[in-house]
Amino acid sequence: MKNFGHLLVKEIKELINKQLIISLAMMLLIFSFIGNVTKKEMKKAISKQKIAILDLDKSELSKNLIGTLNMANFIIEEQNGEKEEVVKKLQQSDLGLLVIIPPGFSQEVSNLKSVEVETYSYLRGISISGTRTSEVVRAVLDTTNDFLSNQFLKEKLPEINPAEIKAPIKNREFIMVKDRMAEGSSAAVIGTLYAQSYILPIILMMIIMYSSQMVITAIAMEKQNKTLETLLTVPISRQAIAMAKMLAAGLVGLLSAAIYLYGFQMAFSFPTDELSSATGGLAPILKQLGLTIDTQGYVLFGLSLFLAILCALSIATILGVLAEDYRTAQSLNIPLVFLILVPYFISLFADINTMSLPAKILVLAIPFSHPFFAMQNMMFGHMGMFWLGLAYNLAFVIVMLIWTTRIFATDRVLTMKLKWGRKKVVL
Amino acid sequence: MTPVLDVEGLKKNYGQLEALKGISFKVDRGEIFGLIGPNGAGKTTTLRIIATLLTPSDGRVAFLGFDLRKNPEKFREKISYLPEEAGAYRNMKGQDYLEFMARFYGRNEGEVKEYVARGQQISDLGVRLKDKVGTYSKGMTRKLLLARALMTKPALAILDEPTSGLDVINSLEVRETIKRFAGEGVSVLLSSHNMLEVEFLSDRVALIDRGQILDSGSSQALKDKYQAPNLEIVFKNSVRSNI
Repeated sequence: MKNFGHLLVKEIKELINKQLIISLAMMLLIFSFIGNVTKKEMKKAISKQKIAILDLDKSELSKNLIGTLNMANFIIEEQNGEKEEVVKKLQQSDLGLLVIIPPGFSQEVSNLKSVEVETYSYLRGISISGTRTSEVVRAVLDTTNDFLSNQFLKEKLPEINPAEIKAPIKNREFIMVKDRMAEGSSAAVIGTLYAQSYILPIILMMIIMYSSQMVITAIAMEKQNKTLETLLTVPISRQAIAMAKMLAAGLVGLLSAAIYLYGFQMAFSFPTDELSSATGGLAPILKQLGLTIDTQGYVLFGLSLFLAILCALSIATILGVLAEDYRTAQSLNIPLVFLILVPYFISLFADINTMSLPAKILVLAIPFSHPFFAMQNMMFGHMGMFWLGLAYNLAFVIVMLIWTTRIFATDRVLTMKLKWGRKKVVL
Repeated sequence: MTPVLDVEGLKKNYGQLEALKGISFKVDRGEIFGLIGPNGAGKTTTLRIIATLLTPSDGRVAFLGFDLRKNPEKFREKISYLPEEAGAYRNMKGQDYLEFMARFYGRNEGEVKEYVARGQQISDLGVRLKDKVGTYSKGMTRKLLLARALMTKPALAILDEPTSGLDVINSLEVRETIKRFAGEGVSVLLSSHNMLEVEFLSDRVALIDRGQILDSGSSQALKDKYQAPNLEIVFKNSVRSNI
């Protein structure tokens, strides 16, 4: 045990080298920079929109309309002058939208005739805030139409609430999950679940990829630097050597993934105030539907993740033994990365439960798939699938660990090589 | 007296290839036993089996009376192996490398310190031990590795081409060190292409070719037997007489 700890420390030190620290620090810097830029753009996009209005009607109704827009979260900058002049003048300003209320606007509305309100959008580049322009135009028109129709209805039918005439049918939406039911918007619930869980597959993918990459490289480097033979003759069991490499790679992989995740969140997390207030309202609904994970659920998820990491590490250890040097190790890692990407993309874009049986079997045969679907399985009560996945991964890990330790205990650790030229494994 | 190492009928096959065809020899305490032969003769395979890196296809290796196959881990505590193409961890300082290796063998902090101090002295690298191994020349790395192999005063030191990559002066120093440790009771099993080196170092030598020992004995006895001025001619004559 003393020697194992001693070797583990050395393996961790070897993995946390200058190159790793520099690349992680650089990554954090880059993500921080991206984060600053995107957050500024996001803030611009969600802040109160400034619009210009040229009122050529100057009527009571047009003034009321401007007042309504002002109250509807727009900052109004009123313009004066000729239409062409104002359109040209605003090109030089930072305003993104000009609304022109035509002359005779009030008259036409009073005669129940449709009236054209002109809007001019000023495009000055491609950015997140820029994409909001069309939404702003739509919002302005919706507010205007709403204002005008309300005016008309109030005038003609003063005793009736205009909203009841405009939307006589109301929807009371209920969501069912298994035998549980709650009142609320299904789109909002799915949106919230998706927003909460989109990060999870990324973390899983990074942890598994990092750890496997590290263990393959660690073994390949021992071979390339001709240190493996010496290490194999020191008084420590071969199993301990394999385990120390796997554990070190797992720990450093976990650490790297955590740093990556932190950077990723810095760069791409949306302003959380709005998001949390929105999801906060849905929390009771999610709870009522059983779509929340309790401590026991997180423990089970952790177990599923741990087994998947062990699967990846044991496969990577064997691949590392097959590699002759660092370069071969890199190419041997590619198939493993593809195996990790399959469940990653499926968890993002498809529902495993609605896939055809052969496709489902193929995906679930990949041991890394199970933690990707573990949360979903637990939330939607597919516990059979969850336990089956856990048992499958446990069996996989046991077989792979036995195989790995056997390889390390025999001279295969030195003689097993993947010969690309002859395309065969020499055992 | 029980020999430190007793090898009997050692065979190793790689698929169809018979790398060793039944090799037998003994090494006594404090004795330097040299294996000489051309490339592919089976020297390194023999050393790797004794160093517990490879499993023999047949035959027996007894170390201090115990069967190698039954308890290789126990065996590893008392041996040290210097491979021909060995390296050290490039990101470690020479000093740290010695300490890292010493901790596998030392039963307490005192022993670890003793091994490291001996390693420093054998390596003769002085202040360069504070530098990373990646900055060492091939010769410096070899001296560090030899120091690692001998610092624990193993019962058996298995040295494959111990002076490989060293210049004349360093080679002489290394040979002296090996002799000195043998004098202190360390048994040495070494192999070399350099027959003059083996002649200088070894108490006894075995001539090995195509997986078989052609002849063995002290350098002088072999020279007398084959009426040769040195081991190179001895080897040549023994190959001829075995055809």
